[in-house]
Amino acid sequence: MSPADIALRNETYQAFVALGRSPSAEEVAVVMRMTAAEVRAGWRRLHEDHALVLNAGGTEIRMANPFSAVPSAYRVWATDRWWYANCAWDAFGICAALRSDGRIETSCADCGEPVKVAVEDEHPDEPSLLFHCLVPAHRWWDDIVFT
Amino acid sequence: MNLFRSEEHIYRWLGARSPGATMPATTLSALAHAWWGDRLAPQWKPHSRQQNQAILDSVGLVGDFWQIAHG
Repeated sequence: MSPADIALRNETYQAFVALGRSPSAEEVAVVMRMTAAEVRAGWRRLHEDHALVLNAGGTEIRMANPFSAVPSAYRVWATDRWWYANCAWDAFGICAALRSDGRIETSCADCGEPVKVAVEDEHPDEPSLLFHCLVPAHRWWDDIVFT
Repeated sequence: MNLFRSEEHIYRWLGARSPGATMPATTLSALAHAWWGDRLAPQWKPHSRQQNQAILDSVGLVGDFWQIAHG
């Protein structure tokens, strides 16, 4: 990953957090003093390097892990706003990335019963909950949306 | 990568599928904070495969299932 692509990635993440949503290529282009086409080309390289995930069309951000650009089953209240996470791991990851306590709201993937977890000083207040990872680590990026 | 209320719920959800790996929420939180804690750092740089493997190791996630690079 080139220094220029790392800078683009870092600016994209900063914009995501500042806006509370995925930035458009045009929004990032203004800050980076690039064209939107150059931003999209950089995003495609970052996608190939697993530094972010683009949508199926390859033009917009689907995941800036741990953040999800689209609504998901994992909502996280942190830094005075709601965020969407890509999975349970990422839900805790949003608290980690924001260096914030938080509250995760989701449901048991089996029965649908609501699940709420507060995260304080990096510790969950519902330690009895279990996390299950179905896909082995070496296959996570075969289909990261499924993973 | 989901949360469940108990082992019973995990096995009902799995159905005929082979189980993956299960851990308590406390381990998941420790993993997430080690894995994602630097994502918004101004000078963020990509983790190497070795760095990520070391994070998994540090929270006790060892064995073939947790090997990022497979033989």
